[in-house]
Order: sequence, then structure tokens, then C-alpha cells
Amino acid sequence: MNATPETQQNPAPKITVRDLKFFYGDSMALKGVTLPLHANKATSFIGPSGCGKSTLLRVFNRMYELYPHQRAEGEVMFDGLNILDPGQDVNLLRSRIGMVFQKPTPFPMSIYENIAFGIRLYERIPKSEMDGRVEKALRGAALWDEVSGKLNASGLSLSGGQQQRLCIARTVAIRPEVILLDEPCSALDPISTAKIEELIDELTDEYTIAIVTHSMQQAARVSQYTAFMYLGDLVEFGETNRVFTSPGDKRTQDYITGRFG
Amino acid sequence: MVDHIVKSYDKELDALERRIAEMGGIAEKMVVDAMDALSGCNAALAQQVVASDPRLDALQRDIEEQAVLTIARRQPMAVDLREIVGAIRIAGDLERVGDLAKNIAKRAIKLGVESRVPRPILGLRHMNEVAAEMMKDVLDAYSQRNVALARAVWERDVELDALEDSVFRDLLTHMMEDPRNISFCAHLLFCSKNIERIGDHATNVAETVVYLVTGENLPNERPRGAAGAAV
Repeated sequence: MNATPETQQNPAPKITVRDLKFFYGDSMALKGVTLPLHANKATSFIGPSGCGKSTLLRVFNRMYELYPHQRAEGEVMFDGLNILDPGQDVNLLRSRIGMVFQKPTPFPMSIYENIAFGIRLYERIPKSEMDGRVEKALRGAALWDEVSGKLNASGLSLSGGQQQRLCIARTVAIRPEVILLDEPCSALDPISTAKIEELIDELTDEYTIAIVTHSMQQAARVSQYTAFMYLGDLVEFGETNRVFTSPGDKRTQDYITGRFG
Repeated sequence: MVDHIVKSYDKELDALERRIAEMGGIAEKMVVDAMDALSGCNAALAQQVVASDPRLDALQRDIEEQAVLTIARRQPMAVDLREIVGAIRIAGDLERVGDLAKNIAKRAIKLGVESRVPRPILGLRHMNEVAAEMMKDVLDAYSQRNVALARAVWERDVELDALEDSVFRDLLTHMMEDPRNISFCAHLLFCSKNIERIGDHATNVAETVVYLVTGENLPNERPRGAAGAAV
């Protein structure tokens, strides 16, 4: 990895990854990745398909555990706890580190229930308070104005961009600390994409964001830090402004300028 | 550098670079010819210099338009972005160099046979040689992406400033000696200022070349000589 001096003062990282290795069976998908996720900042992960960026994201909330023969080694410190620790309560972890996927995945239920469902998994609250939480989550995901009149309509009746924001609202509703976004805009039109990007900007006030994206322009627009990964290695990590104007590693330069051979 | 996956992108960048090279060639020739016209009382050559300027202006506009289109089309990143921004900046500097050379040429036409080639003209010629060399070197530095050469040009600006100072003193002496020299010497004074400005633009281009290649900016303060009399 290319260590480069950073110009701005970094707050303490929310998550610190140290020498993380990840295996799909015998094949190594992450070959010792070390980097911080800074609190209340958005960090983008870019790199060609198969570079390990989505794998890394799936480690942050132990999503990989849903599959057999997948394992992680190393250390992912999150508020003093190692996420990889077998004793870690995975349900609790996933309530603190939420995730939004590439394709919108609303539940086949009403817009209201899509949000309330997740909250009920973790908390028992009266209906009136629930109404407030649902509204706050929908506002937080910049969706409230569009759906406030039809909360009982099916979540599936919304447009793709609205569905994606519904998923973000669902994530925000359970008050996580970190939000993982795995190519959240790849299935969306430019207007919906712009709304999500605007949302990411606002979300960094309260949350720490990690976003995997194939759009370099999007990474440049929404994130304060960028990590470039290639073949399971972290090639470069640094301030987004620097990585996209003057990258330190030739491989980063070739990738972001569209020269990858 | 490895080619882009999209070949037309490379073509666009090449086209920008070729236009900069063409502008550089024209501007450099204008600088040399303007001084030859002045010291040789050659009005025809001076007219040629004046006539070259529109081509330079057109090229600059062309470069700006192409650069804007490429930015819109490709959303360039990293070295590509620096190449394009660099091309816009260099085109602006070269266009100004053309204006300054044209101004010298116009004065050459105005002075005509009045030119009596006193010593200050020799000083001016010397200044112009330095400025023309800086132009040539910085254009080579651009085409070769040569940071060391660009830095050398950047540092050479001090020399030009010192020469301007001595030409200034020389002209002042001549004006004080014989008031009939004043009009002529005043024109030469403007010429020396123009040449000094040409050196500044060469220095700007040198800064751009360093930025383009390394992504780093040279320090804000340009090298300054002891010269302070000429302002």
C-alpha cells in the first residue's frame, strides 16, 4: 500500500481494519488489507470487478457468515471490539452496521411496515412512537415528501430510486452507526442517483459511510476518502481529492483514467 | 503512458497537445521576429508578426472549446485532468505571449527609420534572446514532459528581471542625456516590459508543466532578482 501524507486532520477512525485476509474456500480474496474508516466521513471503495471491494464491505457486518466455506482472518476493530471475534453478537453488530444493496430489496409489505418491521426486531415501542420513527427515517432518506400520503401502499409499488431510498430509510430507522452501501445507484437513473448522492452527503452528519461504487465520478463526488483495490490488495488509500487528481500509485492512475490493460 | 481503453479519448488528448505545439511554434517565432523587426527596422517583418496573431487567438479558442468538450464527454481524472487543465492554461499564456510580441512589432512599425540603434537596443536584443530561449525550452519541456527543464526555465526568470533592470537604467540615461531620445526610448521601455512579461508567461507555462507531470504546484513565489527599479 502506498502511504501518503494526508493534509487534513483525521478524527479517530470509526473502524480500523488490520491485515485482513479473506478466503472463499481455498482462494484468497483479500490479501492483508489495512485501512481506517473515518467517523462521519464517506469512504469509497473502487476497483475492477473481483478486486475484493464488495468482499471487504461484507466483512464489516459479517454478512459472509451466511455462506459456508468463507472465513476472515485479521482484525476489524469497531469501537474497541473486533468484529471478527467469534463471540460477537452478529444481530447486534448488524443493527449497528447497516447495509444497502445494489438492487433495491423492499419487503413485499407496505411502505410503513418496511420500516417498522426492522425497528420491531430490536425494540418494542408504542404505535405513536413508531409513527414518529417511521416518519423520521423516511425524512432521513429524503423519501417522506413522496410517500407521506401512501404509507400503506406496497413498497414494491415505488420506483427503483424510491425503493432504494426506502431501503436506506429502513437501514437508518434502526439507528446504526455505520452504513454500508454496495453499489447503491447502479440500478438507478441519474435523477434518482443524484438524490441518493445528496442523501449520502447528509447522512455523513450522523453516520460513517462506506460505499462500493463502479462510478469513479460518484466516488469523487460523494466521498472524503477513497480506497483503490486490485486483486485483493489495497493499492492506495487517501483523501478523495488527492486520489482523483494526483494518485500516488501507477495502478490507481491507470484505473481511474481508463487505461487498465 | 499506457493508452486509454477508449482510443478516441487518446486522439482527443493528442489533438489538444498538437494544437498547443502549433501555438508554441507561432508564439516563439513571433517573439524572435518582433525583435528582429525592431532592431533591423524591418516594417514588413513587423507586419508579418501582427498578421500571425489572429491564428494564435483562433487556436486558443479552439483548444478551450475542445478541452471543455473532452471534460464533458470523458470526465477526465488524474493525469488526464491535469493534461486538459494544463492545455487550457498554457494556451492562455501563449496567446498573451503573442499579444506582447505583436505589441513590440507595432512599435517597430511606428518607430520605422527613426530607430537609431543606440546601446539600449543591444540590451533589449539580449533580453529577447533570453525570453525566446525560455519560450523554446519551456515548449520542449512541455512536449517531453520534462520537469527538470521546466524548473530551469522557472529559475531563469530572475535573469530576465535583472536584464530588464539594466535596460531600464540605460534608457533612463539616454533620455536624460538628450530629450529628443525620450519618445524613442519610451517605446523601447514598453518593449522591455513586454519582453519581461513574455518571460513571466514562459514561467507560468513552466509551472503548468511541473503541475501536469507531478500533480504538485511549485511554490507561490516566483524567483525574484534584486531588480526592483523597473515596475
